[in-house]
Amino acid sequence: MKTTSYLVLPLAAALAMAGPWAFLTYPPPFPPADRIREVGQSAVEDSLALALGLRRLAADLWYIRLLQYYGTPEVERPPDETGRHELEAGFGGGRYREFLPMARHLLALDPYFTSAGLYAAGSLAFNMSRPDEALSLLNEALIYRPKEWKYVKLLAAIGYSKAHDPSKVSELLMSLIMEPDCPVMIRQQAAFLNKKAGNYRVAYRIYKTILKTTKDPFYIDNARKEMAKLEKLNADLN
Amino acid sequence: MNTSKPVNMNYLSTTWSIARYSLLENYKNRFFGLFIIFAGVLIYASLLAGVMAVDEEARVLADLGLALMELISLAYALLAAADAITREIRTKTIYLVFSRPVPRPAYLAGKAAGLYAASALMLGVMALIHLSLLYSRGFAAPPFYAKAVFFIWCKLLIITSAGLFISLFATSTVSAVAIMGILWTLGHFTSEAQFLISRSSGASGLALKAVAYAIPDLQLFNARDLAASAAAPPAAGFLAVYLLLWLTVPYLFSLLLFRKKEF
Repeated sequence: MKTTSYLVLPLAAALAMAGPWAFLTYPPPFPPADRIREVGQSAVEDSLALALGLRRLAADLWYIRLLQYYGTPEVERPPDETGRHELEAGFGGGRYREFLPMARHLLALDPYFTSAGLYAAGSLAFNMSRPDEALSLLNEALIYRPKEWKYVKLLAAIGYSKAHDPSKVSELLMSLIMEPDCPVMIRQQAAFLNKKAGNYRVAYRIYKTILKTTKDPFYIDNARKEMAKLEKLNADLN
Repeated sequence: MNTSKPVNMNYLSTTWSIARYSLLENYKNRFFGLFIIFAGVLIYASLLAGVMAVDEEARVLADLGLALMELISLAYALLAAADAITREIRTKTIYLVFSRPVPRPAYLAGKAAGLYAASALMLGVMALIHLSLLYSRGFAAPPFYAKAVFFIWCKLLIITSAGLFISLFATSTVSAVAIMGILWTLGHFTSEAQFLISRSSGASGLALKAVAYAIPDLQLFNARDLAASAAAPPAAGFLAVYLLLWLTVPYLFSLLLFRKKEF
């Protein structure tokens, strides 16, 4: 009994010191709760995610929601002659007012979800023609990932796209597209810009990469269609 | 005559026997099997969420599986820790145990070790189910997987250790589970607690600090969430000491309480 009493006091004191030590030595890697703004009625869900240490999973669910939200067309476009919807001209266009708050919410939950940050910023800049919102999103993402070169490259590409310099945009996107976590939407944009600039061989290669790397049937369909078009235009593509 | 060695050996062998019996008891508990089956079904049901994430399927499957593994093993650990000793007191089987020369520290250490082993077994089986799902979808386990599973176990060790202590003074199993649940929740609020501390001053600030420091910082072991974190991870040495303290101090407090009980 005595041994236990003698042991418990110094060990309890050590534990009492370990708490503040951990607090002061290891800064929290996640943004504080006040950075998370409610989207829809997400407060309860967000609190649960924080309380159970499930920020990464919550960010995953918000990513799925973002995909579903953005995947629901706001503007109906007529299908082309094959019965499919054209992906390139105006694809992903629309207002999607909730897109930016949802993307911000996602990155506030998990600022290390780089591919989601790239996807959201790329969609805002290139598909929805809202480069200023894309820039603000990337700047926020860079607070927690200041050394993330992919964000910096995309930031520069959006800057050039604002300055109407597609060749520079394409050059910057090219450095992103071989990265495994590069969203297919950015690859699609790079292929589109290269095709537009007459770099058919490069565009063809990017469409081939899209076929290998994505599971999204829309992008797969489009890549096949574009590859067939390019093959008709230029026989020496490989 | 030096009798310390045989006494120590006796202490260790008693602890080992109780731990083994406790693990077997947990293993044969029908809830143990049910929890694992439930986890298996849920982990495989997470396929749906994975498909919805399109190109992020691997990430979603890994995250959802790890989260389910943690929550299900937590639920079992809470129930098992809250009930492990109190059930034996309730059913009076503890009188049988202490009618033999069983030292109380060895009994308590054995019970705790059995619960730790049961958590490890449960996590191991669920990890195998989860990995089989990942491989069946053509994905490799993420690089942080082993660390994440091990750290989930570390968190379970802390909560089980605290739970055994809580169960000795809680009025019922339900209240013990509730207190442990609150402890688990608060343990993940480190970022928020730091934020609140930075915003408060005076007596409220001090009270907040005292509470925040006294609660186990489970976020330190949250390798699941911190997988890609840019922040420097806590040093392994510090984590080991922190874990050991959180295992030992509640154990010693439990022992103090347990010794006062008459069997």
